[in-house]
Amino acid sequence: MDKQLQVRGTTRMEFRKFITYLIPWFIVLGIGLYAMYLVFRYGLNHTNMDNRFAFGLWIYFDLAIIALGAGAFFTGLLLYVFKREEFKSVINSAVIIGFICYSGAIAALVVDVGQPLRAWFTLYRPNAHSMLAEVTFCLTLYLAVLAVEYVPIVLKNRKLKQIPSFLVFEFKLHKFMPILAGIGALLSFFHQGSLGGMFGVLNGQPFSFRETVLVFPSTFFLFILSAIAAGPSFIMLTTWLVSKISGKKLVTKNVFMSLGKISGILLLVYVLFKSIDSLYWLNKTSPAVGFTVADHYGYAPFGIWILLLEVIVLGLIPALILINKKFREKMHWLLTGAFLACAGIALNRFVTTIQTLSLPTLPFADFLTYSPTWEEVAIFLMVIAYGVIVYSFSFRYLPLFPQERELNSK
Amino acid sequence: MFPWVHEFRPELGHLIFTGGFAMVFVIVMTTIVIVFKKVYEIYKQRAVEKIAWQAAFEDFPTFNKRCRYEISGLFNERTCNNYFDCRECAVNKQLLEKGIPEKALAAAGDDGNTEIFGLNIPLDRMYHRGHTWVKQDEDGNYLVGLDDFGKRLIGKPENIELPEIGSKLHANGTAWKVKRGKADTRILSPIDGEVIETGDPEKGWYLKIKSEPDNVDTSHLLKHGKEIKAWFMKELERLQFALATDGVGASLADGGVLIDDLPKSNPDADWDGVYGEIFLEP
Repeated sequence: MDKQLQVRGTTRMEFRKFITYLIPWFIVLGIGLYAMYLVFRYGLNHTNMDNRFAFGLWIYFDLAIIALGAGAFFTGLLLYVFKREEFKSVINSAVIIGFICYSGAIAALVVDVGQPLRAWFTLYRPNAHSMLAEVTFCLTLYLAVLAVEYVPIVLKNRKLKQIPSFLVFEFKLHKFMPILAGIGALLSFFHQGSLGGMFGVLNGQPFSFRETVLVFPSTFFLFILSAIAAGPSFIMLTTWLVSKISGKKLVTKNVFMSLGKISGILLLVYVLFKSIDSLYWLNKTSPAVGFTVADHYGYAPFGIWILLLEVIVLGLIPALILINKKFREKMHWLLTGAFLACAGIALNRFVTTIQTLSLPTLPFADFLTYSPTWEEVAIFLMVIAYGVIVYSFSFRYLPLFPQERELNSK
Repeated sequence: MFPWVHEFRPELGHLIFTGGFAMVFVIVMTTIVIVFKKVYEIYKQRAVEKIAWQAAFEDFPTFNKRCRYEISGLFNERTCNNYFDCRECAVNKQLLEKGIPEKALAAAGDDGNTEIFGLNIPLDRMYHRGHTWVKQDEDGNYLVGLDDFGKRLIGKPENIELPEIGSKLHANGTAWKVKRGKADTRILSPIDGEVIETGDPEKGWYLKIKSEPDNVDTSHLLKHGKEIKAWFMKELERLQFALATDGVGASLADGGVLIDDLPKSNPDADWDGVYGEIFLEP
C-alpha cells in the first residue's frame, strides 16, 4: 500500500525506516505541543519576554523563516510570470517550503499573541496605524494562496489522481498558477517590506529607526531585497539537503547555478543598499538624535564586528561567490555561497529583533539581556519538527521533483 | 481601515489599503469559483477522460513527448503539444493535406518485414502510442488489442478489468486495466467508440468497438510501415531507459530480442515504474 502511494518509478526508504526516522521529530513535536499547552493554559509568563523585551526567539524565528520562505513566491514569480522554465523542477518543493515556513510562522505567532482566541481581532479590528496590520493581512492572505498552490501538488498523489474529479480539478487549478503567483508576489513584497518597516518606524529605538524613502522607511525595501536574495539560496540548500538525505539526484546542476546566480546578483544589490543605508544611518540619522556608533555597538556581545560580519562575511562574500561563474560551477562553492547568504539574512533578522531591544535608549536604562525559556525553545523546535514532518511526507508521497526519475537512471 | 475600527476615516489611503486587500481576496475566491465551474462543465460535457489524459501528459518529461514525425525522421526535432492527439494538430492536418506522410513514410516503410528484434508487428493495423492496435474487422467494426511489445511487458496478468459492453470509450482515455504482481496500469483506448464485445489474450484482441465510419478519425494512429517500425525502435530505447532507472535491478542489454514474459524473467525489477513509463501513466 505504501508503495502504491508513492510516485511511479521513484524509490523511497522502507516504510519502517521512514517511521523510525520520523520518531525523534514526532517527539520534538510532542514536547512543543506540551509547551504550547503550558503557554495557553498559564500565559506568557512561561516565556522570558516582558513589556520591555516583547520580541524574543519566536519573533526572530518568524522573521527569519518568512525571509527564507520567500523562495516560494520568488520562484513562482520567475517561473509563471517571467517564464524561467528551468525552475519548474523545483517549484513544487519551493511551494511546500513556503507553505511550511509561513504556516510555521503563523503557528508561532498564535502562541506569541498569548490570546489566540482573539487573534482574529487583528483582522476584524486592525490598528490602522500599525505596520503589523498590513503584515497580518498579507500573511493571512498569502498563506491562503500557498495553501491553494499546495492543493494541486497533493492531488498529484498517485492514489488521489486516480479519482478523476481530483485530477481534473488539479489540472484546471494549475492553469491559474500565474495569477496566484502574481498575487503571492504582491502580498509577499508588502509583508516582507512591512516587517522591515515595522522596525524602521520605531523612532524610540535609534538602533532600528531609519529615514523614509517614498513614504516607507528604508528597512521596508531592504527587507524585501534581502528576502528575495536569500529565498533562492534557501531553495537551493533545501534541495541539496533532501538530495543528500535521500541519496537521489533531484535537479540538474544548471538549476542550482541559476538559483545561485539570481541570489548572488540580488544579494550584491542588497549589500550595496544596506551599506549606503548603514553609512547614512550611522553618520546622519543616528547622530541627529544624539546617538553615536558606540551607543549602538559599545555593548558586548554586540560590537561593530556584528555589522561587519553581516555586511561583509555574510553579504558581500557570498554575493561575490554566487555571481562568479567559476565558483558557481563548483558545487561546494555554490553551497557555501548559498549557506552564507541564508546565514546573513538570519543574522540580519536577529540583529533587527534582538539587538534593537537589548540596547538602552534612555540615560537611565540598562543594556537588556534575554534568553528564552525551555518552552520558547521547545515551540521554536516544534515548528522545525513540523516542517521536517510535512516535507518528509510530501517528498515520500508527492511528485516534488519531476526530473528525479530521469536523473537517477543508471 | 474599517468603519467599525477606532479612528477610521474615509480617506483615500484607507480606502486604497482596504480595497487592495479586498481585491486580492476577491481574485483568489473568484479563481477558485471559476475552477469549480470549469470542472462542472467538464463533467457536463463528459470530457473527464480527455482532461485526465491531458493532465497525465503534462507530467511526462519532454523526451517522452516526441512528435511522431520526429520519431519517423520527417522532422529533426519536434515536441508534441497536442497530447498525442494528432486529430487536433494543425501541423498534422497540413502534412496530411499535402500527402507528405503518405509519400515519405508509406512508400519507404512497407518492406514486408513484420519483425523488429523479435517483436511481431503486423502492418495490417494501426498502432496507438499507448501500445494498443486497431484493426477493422470483417464486419466493419474495430478490434482493439495489445501490441506484441505490450504483451511481452505484461506477460501473464493476474487480473484484467475490461469495460462493460455498451461503455463509451474515448481515444486516450482508459480502455481497460491490467494487474501483474505489484504493478498495475491502465491501457489507453486508441479510438472513440462504444464497446460491443470483449475478448481476452487468447483471442488476440480485447475489445470490439462499434463501427461508426463517419465519426472514427484515425489520423492520430501510426499506420505507415516506416513510422511504425521507427516508433517501436524508439520504444525499445524507452524500455531500456525505464529498466535502467534507479531501484530497478537489471538493465536491458543491447541487441537480442525481448522474451515473452519479461516480469517473469526479472521479477525484482520495478515493473510498476516501467509500466507507468511505457503505457504512458506517470
